[in-house]
Amino acid sequence: MIPFDFDYYAPETTGEAFNCYAKLSKAGKRPVWYAGGTELISMARVGSRTFGAVVDLKGVPDCTRLAAERGRIVLGAALTLTEIARSGLFPLLGSTAARIADHTIQGKITLGGNLAGTIQYRESALPLLLCGARAHVMTAGGVEKRPFSQVFSGRLHLEEGEFLAAVDVPEREAALPHCHAKRTRQDKIDYPLVTLCAVRDGGSVRCAVSGYGSAPLLVPAQALAGGAAVCGELAGEAADSLSGSGAYKRFVLENMVGQALANLGVK
Amino acid sequence: MNTQLGVSVKRKEARDKVTGAAKYTADLSQTPLLHVRILASTQAHALLLGVDAAAASAMPGVRAVVTGTDAGQLLCGGILRDMPPLARDRVRYFGEPVALVVAEEAQQAMAAAAAIQVRYSPLSPVTTIEEALVPDPVLVHENLGSYQRMEADIYPRPGTNLFHAVKVRKGDMERGWALSDETVEGTFHLPQSDHAAMETRAVRCSISPGGVIDITTASQSPFEVRELISRYFDVPQGMVAVHVPLVGGAFGGKAAVQLEVLAVLASRAVDGACVSLVNSREQDMATSPCHMGMRAELKLGARRTGEITAARMVFHLNAGAYADISPKLAKAVAVDCSGPYRFPNIDCDSFGVYTNAPYATSYRGFGHAELFFCLERMMDKLADALGMDPFELRAVNALKEGDLTATQVKATRSNMGDLVCCLDRLKSLINWSEGARIQEPGGLIRAKGMACLCKTSDTPTDASAAATVSFLPDGTVALNCAAVEIGPGIRTAMAQILAETLRMDVGRVYVNMEVDTQTAPYYWKTVASMTTYMMGRAVRAAALDARRQLLALGAVAMRCPEEDLEVENERVYLKADPLMFAAFRDLATGYKYGNGNAVGGPVIGRGSYVMDHLTLLDKDTGKGKAGRSWTLGAQAVEVEYDPAQHTYRLLKAATVLDAGKVLNPKTARGVVMGGMSMGLGLATREEFVQAPGGVEGATSFRTYKMLRIGEEPEYLVDFVETPQVDAPFGARGIAEHGVIGMPAALANAVAKAAGVDIEELPVTPELIWRKKGRP
Repeated sequence: MIPFDFDYYAPETTGEAFNCYAKLSKAGKRPVWYAGGTELISMARVGSRTFGAVVDLKGVPDCTRLAAERGRIVLGAALTLTEIARSGLFPLLGSTAARIADHTIQGKITLGGNLAGTIQYRESALPLLLCGARAHVMTAGGVEKRPFSQVFSGRLHLEEGEFLAAVDVPEREAALPHCHAKRTRQDKIDYPLVTLCAVRDGGSVRCAVSGYGSAPLLVPAQALAGGAAVCGELAGEAADSLSGSGAYKRFVLENMVGQALANLGVK
Repeated sequence: MNTQLGVSVKRKEARDKVTGAAKYTADLSQTPLLHVRILASTQAHALLLGVDAAAASAMPGVRAVVTGTDAGQLLCGGILRDMPPLARDRVRYFGEPVALVVAEEAQQAMAAAAAIQVRYSPLSPVTTIEEALVPDPVLVHENLGSYQRMEADIYPRPGTNLFHAVKVRKGDMERGWALSDETVEGTFHLPQSDHAAMETRAVRCSISPGGVIDITTASQSPFEVRELISRYFDVPQGMVAVHVPLVGGAFGGKAAVQLEVLAVLASRAVDGACVSLVNSREQDMATSPCHMGMRAELKLGARRTGEITAARMVFHLNAGAYADISPKLAKAVAVDCSGPYRFPNIDCDSFGVYTNAPYATSYRGFGHAELFFCLERMMDKLADALGMDPFELRAVNALKEGDLTATQVKATRSNMGDLVCCLDRLKSLINWSEGARIQEPGGLIRAKGMACLCKTSDTPTDASAAATVSFLPDGTVALNCAAVEIGPGIRTAMAQILAETLRMDVGRVYVNMEVDTQTAPYYWKTVASMTTYMMGRAVRAAALDARRQLLALGAVAMRCPEEDLEVENERVYLKADPLMFAAFRDLATGYKYGNGNAVGGPVIGRGSYVMDHLTLLDKDTGKGKAGRSWTLGAQAVEVEYDPAQHTYRLLKAATVLDAGKVLNPKTARGVVMGGMSMGLGLATREEFVQAPGGVEGATSFRTYKMLRIGEEPEYLVDFVETPQVDAPFGARGIAEHGVIGMPAALANAVAKAAGVDIEELPVTPELIWRKKGRP
């Protein structure tokens, strides 16, 4: 149960949403962007987050687009993880999404929510970081397409009042040979100890991990080239968490990188 | 008439439960109803400098704010009265109730609770057993010596964090060590964890203008609720009415009396209006009592041939901030410290220890899953050291008829059962002969581990039960008893015992699912796997009493001596000519002659049972009888281990219990499987994790992990039937036992697979990696 009252807005266009949020903000209503609600509801019921209004993006068509057009795959930020996994358009993102939380919750969590939320793992960022994604950011001047890596480092960095409407990735990169692996403390359904995504593009491999550090991060190319020494390169990033100690994560990551390289046919 | 036992009778409440129609405490509608919210401590250990409720009291809908001072000097506790219902002067665990808000709507109560200002002055928290035991420790209770003891055999040590100590001394330790060729040692650590019943704890309470305190609660102990509320609030027991509808899982966690006291305080603050207090999942984990932790040091000595000659054991139970039932847990661990084995020489100490953690209460197995984790790991270590097969080592040491248990009770086939038979059955069930560690193609390792278990009841020496049997005018039968239906189908089992005794169809026996202390005869509480035995005996006695009355009335009706009559199929009939009979419906409310005259009157059978021959334990040696019998068995787990990653998968879990007599095969299998699943949860993942400062880190299912469908192994369950001669139809209690050996069996399997020693739970891949020496 949420112990406080708040207003609910359901805009139907990106512009309407942007203006709605701005107006609420100005009126001191402390609005929040809303999509799946899994995190906001959980936080509100335990008293760790309050807000005066929610602006629900699920009714904004731009936020629920799911299409392949002009060589790029466009994924609306309000698509659920289930919808993304079922679409099959971006297999690496689909595999990643299908291992976030559990089956029921995947039908609620949205791509944008997973990227913008406070839970640090944000695993759906990994495929986007690896595959040349662009972020469609709604700003005062309309939707701007920016390189994903420019708006996401560890977490989504947008100006107050802006929101992520969609992402796109080149079809070619979405179809690259790839692998996804998730290791947890013990359970199939849990926050990641380490989640790893990797793609092979010609002779080179790109790899990103979540859970290992305090935020999703790209594994530097020179670290990958080092093979087993990867953990040396990233040692400083390993963070203790309820899932496991930093030292153990180093061991796990080393195994996972070795396995990923083997799966992608790289020595 | 076919027997009503040994057949899978559908539980009486099945249809209501599977259709969702069954009502639990929080489902009952009552208007008007006020809502209570607990404000819980954010500190594990702190002085409570002030609770300012001014702002909260002025918020919309708020009817009252209750704080520790409103409870006067009241201290609660069934054994040691050490717990203020709401924190006063200091808080002793993260999650401890500090204040209550009573409001018209639940969300108003929540919002107002958040507006209460609490000023703390943090104290250094005692977060581990080791910290609790240092010389000159931080004291969780500075006034331990002043607390009222409700029972004679409790021994707190003021100036320390020890609130109880139990000693077991048997035989001659020096001689025992001298006779040993091999010794093994171990130091074990087990975390606290949660019961995680599907239904969180919930209570309703009102106080009538006449002063009757009316409580509806999800409890295993309705009569103890009545007794304690009467004592705490100084009202006669007759002025306390306790109702318990169906309970959605309890596992020992609903034996403790906590929310009921808070609900009375809340109702009292609003002139007796009906209040509802329902735990959120987070509060059920952090605020209500949990499953104890433990630290233990064990040393075993044995001859080359496997016979154990000496056992030294020290158990420290992490009971958290308040003693609750933990003195009895310490006793239970001591009583069964040698398991189902013949240890001639024993030196065992079992202590209840305070820490600044959530306080513990009973949990399925009552200390035995923890005890047997330690003991059965030790047995495997000893088997390794001696080069013996683990099954063989256990069989060699199995208690034989006439041997003495740790507290010097003589073992018989009836009170103990047949361990060797269980071991043999388990061996084939788990296919032990193919080997305990098998290298699979692809580099994986399949390994098996096993463990024995046993448990006696550890009830009060005078625990008792009663039941009545009455007849409906249509000749069917109604059973009235206060065994709470917490999930295992116990009220159906009672109906079976009644039906079997009257030789009638169990489908014609009615047993309502709610317990009401105003109308049900007394029952101690629904715990300790004792309902089949205690309530079963009372029900059987009540049925026999009713049968006697039916025979007497039948003799009148049929004008013959009683001994010529028999009872079956709802008839009292002439043995010589079964077609000459009086039906139950003709006798149930009295027998009427043809001319209208009547004799007899409604038949009511009554039955009572009180535990007999039990004694307190001797303070210095532990000698004494803590239970009438044991249920023993053996369990095994098979895992598939990945030596590269140190991960493993559960393949199979097997249990063979000596059930005495299986009353209802499918519910028996279900209750044992449920226990096994819980045991595997403890073994593999469940734990409370305290962050620095004693703040609980896992108080929701986001981070407190439980076994899910898909992670469950294949369950294999079998029973041996060595009757307990004094039990109803020979049936032993089996409700808890599935949990007990699982952690040890799992740890033994992983230890075998990975080649490491395991002395702590849960067994995570990280633990194995650490034990492997962090390669």
